[in-house]
Amino acid sequence: MRLSEQSRAHNQVAYMSAAAERADRVQRQLSTNRRIDRASDDPSGAALAMQHRKNIAFEAQMRRNLQNGTAFLNVTESALDSATDVLQRARELTVQGSNDTLGASEKQNVAAELDQLIQQLAQVANTNFGGVYIFSGHQTQTAAYNVAGAPPVAITWQGDSGLRTRRISAQDSVAANVIGDDAFGDIFDDLIVLRDNLQANAPGATVGNSLADIDRALDRVLNTRADVGARLNRLEATTYRSEETDTNLQELRAEIEDIDIAETIIKFTAAQNALEAALGAIGQTSNLSLLNYLR
Amino acid sequence: MGLSIGLDTAVKALRAHQLAVDVASHNIANAQTPGFSRQRVLLRPVGLDGSDHYSRDALLGRPGFGVDARDVNRVRDTFMDFQARQAFSGQGQYGALATPLRNAEVVFNDPSDDGLSSLLGKFWSAWHDLTNDPESSAARTALVHATTTFTMRLQAAEGQLTQQRTDLNQEVAGIGNEINAYAAEVATLNLQIKQVELNGDMANDLRDRRDLILDELSKLADIHYSEADTGEVTVYMGTHELVFGTSARTVQAVDDITDPGMLKLIFTMDNDAVQVSSGELRGVLDARDQAFPDLIAKLNTLASGLINSVNSLHRTGYGLDGVTTGLDFFTGADASDIAINTALSGSPSSIGAAGAAGAPGDPSNALAIANLQLAANMIAGTAATSLVYGETLSAGNTLTALNVAGTLQPGTYAIIENPPLSGTLELQLNGNTIGTATPVAAGPGSFNITFTSGAATVATLTVNATAAYSAAAQVADLTTAGNNSLQVENSASTFYGNVVSVLGADVNRAVGLQESSGLLADHIDSLRESVHGVSIDEEVTNLSSAQHAYNAAARIITTIDDMLDTLINRTGATR
Repeated sequence: MRLSEQSRAHNQVAYMSAAAERADRVQRQLSTNRRIDRASDDPSGAALAMQHRKNIAFEAQMRRNLQNGTAFLNVTESALDSATDVLQRARELTVQGSNDTLGASEKQNVAAELDQLIQQLAQVANTNFGGVYIFSGHQTQTAAYNVAGAPPVAITWQGDSGLRTRRISAQDSVAANVIGDDAFGDIFDDLIVLRDNLQANAPGATVGNSLADIDRALDRVLNTRADVGARLNRLEATTYRSEETDTNLQELRAEIEDIDIAETIIKFTAAQNALEAALGAIGQTSNLSLLNYLR
Repeated sequence: MGLSIGLDTAVKALRAHQLAVDVASHNIANAQTPGFSRQRVLLRPVGLDGSDHYSRDALLGRPGFGVDARDVNRVRDTFMDFQARQAFSGQGQYGALATPLRNAEVVFNDPSDDGLSSLLGKFWSAWHDLTNDPESSAARTALVHATTTFTMRLQAAEGQLTQQRTDLNQEVAGIGNEINAYAAEVATLNLQIKQVELNGDMANDLRDRRDLILDELSKLADIHYSEADTGEVTVYMGTHELVFGTSARTVQAVDDITDPGMLKLIFTMDNDAVQVSSGELRGVLDARDQAFPDLIAKLNTLASGLINSVNSLHRTGYGLDGVTTGLDFFTGADASDIAINTALSGSPSSIGAAGAAGAPGDPSNALAIANLQLAANMIAGTAATSLVYGETLSAGNTLTALNVAGTLQPGTYAIIENPPLSGTLELQLNGNTIGTATPVAAGPGSFNITFTSGAATVATLTVNATAAYSAAAQVADLTTAGNNSLQVENSASTFYGNVVSVLGADVNRAVGLQESSGLLADHIDSLRESVHGVSIDEEVTNLSSAQHAYNAAARIITTIDDMLDTLINRTGATR
């Protein structure tokens, strides 16, 4: 084909810029570490990558929810643990107090310790975690139990049965709270009756009747703890699953979005060589002219 | 007679080769001039009578009378011009489409860590955080910030797309001006070429200039042209003559009454619209009238879907004080004005996280809103209230008008009605019947509406009862959220993901077409250039052969001079 000056110049520019563009594209991939920078680089890949990114962010949020729920349930668990201790001590005192060999003043001593335990249990039931009364249901700004009188004469439930449910996975939600009324039942009334009986030097058999109440309360608290423990296990298992999912998703996303470094460096070297070759060829041929050979 | 003819022949040769040198010089001078066609001296032997090449002198034999070098022609292939211009039109069209689409892609900036998709994710995350700690003012403030960041970004994206569309609109006017300038120049050149060529001369350089302008014109629009015997070209654009002889018609950008705010090109003479099927103008119009409105409409669907879905839930929620309720979460109707309700941003404790009154620790409504992230669809419009629970429909009764903000994209929507209705409904879009719908299933039913045509701007979607409803059929209280609402298939993030990947595919296609049409145009142009382009080596060779011929002709004159000297001074001299 006949080559004119203009088409020679045009072709040289075209070859050069094509080679430079190829090198530039690979260089951009190397410096960003990304194969897909814009959706148009690979539309279907970009759609998948966005899906993965969305799911990665969702899983991260689920782990935040899990973490928050775990913290809440851990506080609940340790409160219930203290309640168990209190109730067990109350049981010991009841056994002690039901012994008819005890005199009136000794029973009053027992009653005094029981009074301390009642107040301690009330404090446990009114545990506040980060400005939230954890046993109050949805009435988290109000103490779960109202303690009237000092020493207390009545401790009354003032929460509701609202659950603090949060999502922990795409399929699953879980409540992070325990309703105080479910965990503690009538134990405050029972303990107050027991204390008053001891104070009034009631006969051992009357005092001993309270053992059944305390055992029922212990059962209740232990059942609640079992429930909390089960929920904590569920949260832990879900956290583990979410972390695994996250690893998988990150890998999938990287496979689509990110470059293979080794492969890209080889590509870059090849593109650079091609560019150098193009520039060299231009240098060689642009000096070629008939004029060089004419006198 | 012989010797003087010989001298005359030699002088003709001198002149001819002098001209060849001049032409080579002209060619070399214009080696880099765009559109220049190399020129050639047309050499022709001259005979005795001007047409016969040989003298008929019995004594002297049959020499000719030298060379005639009157014409200088340009080397040009008009068929290739035609092909090249078609290719230029394609290149112009796809280039004009690909560039704005690429810009639009930058507006979306996805997939990335800070694109709209990630901001939408952060918006949902903030609702989850509020679910975890409904009493926390930090969580509420964080939600306000996440929402503001997202809505401002959505507004900015809409604004940038609208601005780019306005820029494209200005480009339409600019292209109109360019067309006018080129058309006027073609008309002027027609006149000049006609005048030069009437004298029998060739208007080579004027023709080159005209060809160059036709090239430029074909990049702007797909033109057709034909050349008359007089050397004038007639240029057609669409069905109209743009240049006829020595007069050019002008086009004009005027407001398009069917598309407010947008310009259209018309011929000034008869107000007919300029019709083009390729060239830059086509590409710009395609981007302005299809690609960008489509993108903006999709952003609006996303925004209105979010507004309706979140608001209908949020209105039922209660603030931290346990009393505040009934507030919209978002204000605005689409992507241009979506924003968080200032009553909430000013007082985050009023955000309705609680599902019931007087329950500050209740996160159930926040959870319900966070769950929208996983919902299969968004609410595109909510029912206007014209009927209340318990009213019975009879044939011809209007069930309700659904107020839908923005524009509906083709796709499947569902009318959720609760409790279920029986019978057939007629659907009207802006007063036009677009089909009927029957309940998909018994139970809490939904009607699927499928729009197959292009995006439809929706003022109201009306649902009419066409068959009598059974007496028992009752219409739900339409004021209740979730009842009789029109839904957009797909959740917000899936919808947005589709927008980005479809745009990516569009950009990919436009850039691919731009590249392939560019390659074709380049290829044809280089073929054309190989015919009419100047090669210095070639011209130097021509120059050197003209020089040799000139030298030889000069030698002839010297030789004849010697002969005359011999004849006059040395022959028959007497002392």
